[in-house]
Amino acid sequence: MNSYPPELLAQLAPVMFVAGLEGPPKAPQESETGAAQAQLDPFQILSIRLREALVSQRKVAVWQPDKSKTFQVVLVDKEVRFPPRKLVPPDDPQYTNSHSPLSPLTPSSPLYPDGLIAPIWIRKHTTLIPSVFVMFMRIFEYPPHVLRSPLEGHDSDKDRLEEERKRDSELASDIAQRKKGTNERGVKLTVVLMASRRLLDDPALDSRLTYIRRQSGLDSRAALFVLSPVSTAELHDFVRSLQQALYEPALEYYTVHSKRVRRKRNRHSQATASYPNPAVQLANPNISRPLRPEGWTVRYEYKMACFAEFRGEDEVALKHYQDAYATLTIMFGSTAILPPRTKRWAEAKVLADCINIKIVKLYLYNNEHALALSHHNTHIRQFGDFSRGWGIGEETYEFWSWIARQYRVLAEMIDQGTRSGLVIPVHQPTASSTGAAPAPRPAGLPDLDFARTLGINPSHALQHSGFYYYMAAKCTDMRRARFQAALEAENNNNPIALSPGFQNEKKVDHLSLLYTKAYELFKKYAATPALANQTTSRLTLWIATRIAETHYEAGKFDVAVRFFERIAKTYRKEGWHALLKPLLSTWYSCAQRMGDVELSIKLLIEMMGQEDLAESEEPNGLEEDLLALFQSTVPSSTEAALTFDLAGARPIFETDAVFWKAEVNVEEPAAFQLPITAPTRTVISSVPFSSLEIHISHISNPVIVRHSAEAQEESTPSTSVSRVDLGIINLEDGLQLEIAANLRWKPGSVVLFTGALVSRKPVTLSIKKVIFNIEQNSWKVQVPVEPRPPVLGSTSEPRWLRSQDPPRFIAVKRPDHATTVVKPRPHLFNVSVIHHEPGFLDEDYPIVIEVVNHDDRDLEVMADVLLQPTDIDYAINTISVNGETSTGLIKDIPFGVLAPGVHASKTLHLASGGSGGDRLLDISISANTPQSEETSGESSDEDEDEPASPVQIDKTVYQETLTVPTIAPFAVDSAVMYARTRGEWQGLASLDTFAEDYFDERKGTEALVNIKLDCTGPWGVYIENITLDATVCYTSLPPAIIIDLEGKSAPEIRIMDSSVDLPDGNLFPAEYLAGDELNLSCRVNIGVRDDGKSEEYLFPSPGRYTVSWRRILRDGSHGSLSKTTVSLPALNPPGDTLVALFDIPPTATLHVPVSMTVTIRNYHPTRSANVTVQMEPEVTDGFIVAGLRSGRVPVLLPGGEERLEWTLIPLECGYQSIPRIRILDRRKAIPGVPATTEEVPVDGSTGEPVKLIDLRRDERRLIQADGQGEEGEATIRLLESGSNFGGVLVVPS
Amino acid sequence: MPSTLKLNAVAFISPQNHPILIRTFSKQDENTIKYHYIAHTSLDIIEERANMTGKLGDCYLGLLYSMEDVAVYGYITPLKVKIVLALALSDAVVKDVEVIMLFKAMHMAYYSAISNPFLRLESSMDSSIDQSPHILVGSPKWKNFRKRVDEIARTLGTS
Repeated sequence: MNSYPPELLAQLAPVMFVAGLEGPPKAPQESETGAAQAQLDPFQILSIRLREALVSQRKVAVWQPDKSKTFQVVLVDKEVRFPPRKLVPPDDPQYTNSHSPLSPLTPSSPLYPDGLIAPIWIRKHTTLIPSVFVMFMRIFEYPPHVLRSPLEGHDSDKDRLEEERKRDSELASDIAQRKKGTNERGVKLTVVLMASRRLLDDPALDSRLTYIRRQSGLDSRAALFVLSPVSTAELHDFVRSLQQALYEPALEYYTVHSKRVRRKRNRHSQATASYPNPAVQLANPNISRPLRPEGWTVRYEYKMACFAEFRGEDEVALKHYQDAYATLTIMFGSTAILPPRTKRWAEAKVLADCINIKIVKLYLYNNEHALALSHHNTHIRQFGDFSRGWGIGEETYEFWSWIARQYRVLAEMIDQGTRSGLVIPVHQPTASSTGAAPAPRPAGLPDLDFARTLGINPSHALQHSGFYYYMAAKCTDMRRARFQAALEAENNNNPIALSPGFQNEKKVDHLSLLYTKAYELFKKYAATPALANQTTSRLTLWIATRIAETHYEAGKFDVAVRFFERIAKTYRKEGWHALLKPLLSTWYSCAQRMGDVELSIKLLIEMMGQEDLAESEEPNGLEEDLLALFQSTVPSSTEAALTFDLAGARPIFETDAVFWKAEVNVEEPAAFQLPITAPTRTVISSVPFSSLEIHISHISNPVIVRHSAEAQEESTPSTSVSRVDLGIINLEDGLQLEIAANLRWKPGSVVLFTGALVSRKPVTLSIKKVIFNIEQNSWKVQVPVEPRPPVLGSTSEPRWLRSQDPPRFIAVKRPDHATTVVKPRPHLFNVSVIHHEPGFLDEDYPIVIEVVNHDDRDLEVMADVLLQPTDIDYAINTISVNGETSTGLIKDIPFGVLAPGVHASKTLHLASGGSGGDRLLDISISANTPQSEETSGESSDEDEDEPASPVQIDKTVYQETLTVPTIAPFAVDSAVMYARTRGEWQGLASLDTFAEDYFDERKGTEALVNIKLDCTGPWGVYIENITLDATVCYTSLPPAIIIDLEGKSAPEIRIMDSSVDLPDGNLFPAEYLAGDELNLSCRVNIGVRDDGKSEEYLFPSPGRYTVSWRRILRDGSHGSLSKTTVSLPALNPPGDTLVALFDIPPTATLHVPVSMTVTIRNYHPTRSANVTVQMEPEVTDGFIVAGLRSGRVPVLLPGGEERLEWTLIPLECGYQSIPRIRILDRRKAIPGVPATTEEVPVDGSTGEPVKLIDLRRDERRLIQADGQGEEGEATIRLLESGSNFGGVLVVPS
Repeated sequence: MPSTLKLNAVAFISPQNHPILIRTFSKQDENTIKYHYIAHTSLDIIEERANMTGKLGDCYLGLLYSMEDVAVYGYITPLKVKIVLALALSDAVVKDVEVIMLFKAMHMAYYSAISNPFLRLESSMDSSIDQSPHILVGSPKWKNFRKRVDEIARTLGTS
């Protein structure tokens, strides 16, 4: 940026002249600042502070986008004079025709005759002419003095007033003088009167100020301020408000200028339209080449742009700059207008560059990155095109110098911008779509936003300044190349079109220039926050490469080498060998130039490994270089070998260790192959490898393979694979193994070392590394190579050589082919687990574990058994062995030490409770040799790097998971039937009912519980005994069990009898096979507690059967005794209210009377019943009925019953149906009777029919209805079979 | 749709940042190394953007940077294979849709090449991360991948 005049670049701001702040004792103040400060009076301090505040608020800079209405303050003398508007004084008659001293029309102007605009014009407006003139002045203050006497007071007052008036007039005339000067230029004059705080309070001040203003002719607005010495903060406030007040006049000032220039431009364009150019030229023959109309346009547009910029109107400025730029381009387009390589041409070029910068900057202020870059690119392209026309095209260094400068200026500007608020956008499609646009775009650019959604023009995407610095550096690089070509041409006495700048160019230190720029760039990148957080920034590496190359060019080899070291690390690590290759060769040249032989050797060796890209014309160039180095130099020390230690470098040889088996036993040879493959392109056949050290893990001495010339001759050239057998290597031998072999590789040839490793201990075997020793003269170089190092790009698969001639390989598809694990010999034993599934619940299920020692050693066998928890509800399972019982794990069940061939067994008992399902057992049986303590002690001493204890290693574990399906021995099905009691009820007032132990059986229900046991299992069951136990407390059995739940509210239940207790029908013991069924039934009497809540009771299970059984084993014997309990179901007797029980013998003899009874019972606990009975015999009935035909039963109190009896004489044989009886409960009908049916005679024909139950069939079951309930629950339905009337079978007598 | 894109080079980079294949389509041969550099330096920005968007991010990373005469675009496959395109810089809007299409074609080419079962036969079963096929597919031995990539470049050139 420094290469352009700063005036043309700087951001313009309104200019304010400030006078009167110089402070009278100027010279001493500057010389002895610190000491003098203390003695300054408050006004001097005020002046100093004001100067600081005014001057420091704004610095002249290129990038200054903020519009905070600040002025560019220039401190001037009070008597400053403005430059003359025109050369002639205003009273001269020539005045109207003459021009400004800077005009191209003025012969003395530097622009005469055809200059466009000069930096001096801007300087005039920034330093010589203000838009606002501010004068600081002291108002006179009569020194305060003590009044000596009251008489004196009046006189002194008078004096004071006179004095003040006199001084104020002087002040006013000074101001008026100044005002005259500023008015000429249209500059606003503002006066700040400095007064003490005392004067501010003086009531006379106002009138004095008015007087001064009137006298001096100051404006009424914002022209007169009074300031007293105040603190710095208040001072800043003052400065701000002063500028606020004066900003408007300043804008006016520049607007006036703009208008004036526009007028001139308009007049001019009209004039040029009427006068053709040649005519003008002819008319003014004295002026050699006057400024062309285009030039005038540029000039005016530029001026207008500047004035707009002064006003802070960026948009307007931009427009004018663009117009100026466009016209300028037209001018450059014609060599007639601007002949190249003239002074004016150069000036115009600078102007064009500067305008470009201004335009780019104004766009960037507005965050219109794309437009800014577009303009910048256009500028470069356009002027690049022009340059070609001017003979300074791409082949010249001038061209590249210019482009470099453009990029550098852009970079510097973006740099400045980013420091003060310019945000570099992120060009990520997703980021922009989510509305994370870095800066809000001004409205009115919808098309631009729309375009962004589709995609971006990459050349218009703003990037951080590093990229532009890079471009600049790159162009400088081109410039240097062109320059050197020119220099070469000159040296060859064949100069190509010597340009005038050539001598100048020679003086430029290209290398240092490029270096500094590039370095700047490098730092720039590292400092960019987005990349700084990454440890290795690859971009910087690229730049660093460039820097290193520059260093190399500049001959600073040591610096370059340092760069190379760092760069190579990343490239090696990430496998970018294509990048590494040129780097290495440059590095190597550096090392050569520096004379660093050791580094050269290392680099040569690394370059030999870069086989992919060694497409060099001489494949043995590296080898020759290396040999030449060995020949011509001596190492720094003869003792120590030079070790090739460039970490991560790709080795020369591709080595790969392959073990045939993943695991071997102790003392079993582990065969391995170690192929060493030479690079295919680089020739290394004469590199003097003297020996090869193969380092194997757990062996201290490496296997050494020495080169022998005889072997070299013997080796068959027919195949590319030669095999060297190392034999069987015993790890514990500790012998130094040395073998001779041919160690010269042809391109792509493979030397394959084969052998086998034997270990007596369990270890992991691998080949650690192979060291190649090169010896020549006094040089010793060690090149360590790890088999298959973790460098990527080695693409060959692991292979096992199967036949040497012709070479055939087997692919080894093992991930860990480079290692093999040596394991101790396994212990041979056999485990069998014997059990007969499925097991039954509640059974003691035996599982026999049998271990047989098949080994030739004694084995100590232990077993662990884990019973896995089940997810079956209420399942309590246990295992037991040797009297130890656990619900989970039983550890270390000893089988003892078994001699070879001996077997031992243990029986494990599994008891399963709950419900059926699978039970899981993990059985693990471990065997080890009992004398292992001694050997383990030895081995642990030897290798301490093996953390795993040898006891654990030397142990063979057999594991088995056992699934025992468990089922219930019987499937249980229960059925309950309820029947009404038949006996006569006790009278309501019977005293017996109040007895303590009275069990009201008749009012209750009788339940018949039937339980079916179904032998489902595959095994037969031998049932020894079944007993029925009452669940809760009972007094005696039989006849009655009183079940008392929680004392007071218990219903009464008793088990009356049971089929298992039949004295004569004892079925047990008996064998039941699969599919057999067994029924157990019992009768339970459920009493009713007389509390009206009987329907709410759910009667608990009244008892349970205990079945004692044994499993019938396969051989017919019986297993151990198991007990299974079967609970009776819970009882839920249905309730009743009013019921009529009908009873008649099922058979009758013809003509023999039978009696038929109907018992009407009121079960309702509280309500009495009013019942009518009607016998309705029909003709078709086969009976004659004697008894009540129609009548009313006495009112039945709650708990009362009434018995009616009829006598029937059968008239016909056969199955006769019973005469119809209607029983109505009138009480229930009454509330429901509507008023209209009042007249219906109360004859028993109305009312609710009472349920009539045939006692012979009385049997009620609760049946699970199909899931039709409203809530989807299974509802329980009562099945009443007694309501179906049976008939009577009449037999003949 | 006539495409305005001019493809200079394409680079495939493995999840471990090793180069898989770098193919240049510009005439000058000495520029090959330049595209290696471009591919390598792009990794910086790719990583930065991929980290920024996290897992939810799109595969397409947009314009990474433009430098000298190329505009560099990035793409990261779900399995973290990075694809870098170097397009010739022209003064025209590059439509994201077109670039994405090109990336998808490249991704597809890579995908079908990597699906070759014989590739796995050749690779060392060395590592659990199983990166060898990535590297192998670009090696000169397997021509199919190159062919596909070249075809895409040619199609782009003719359309």
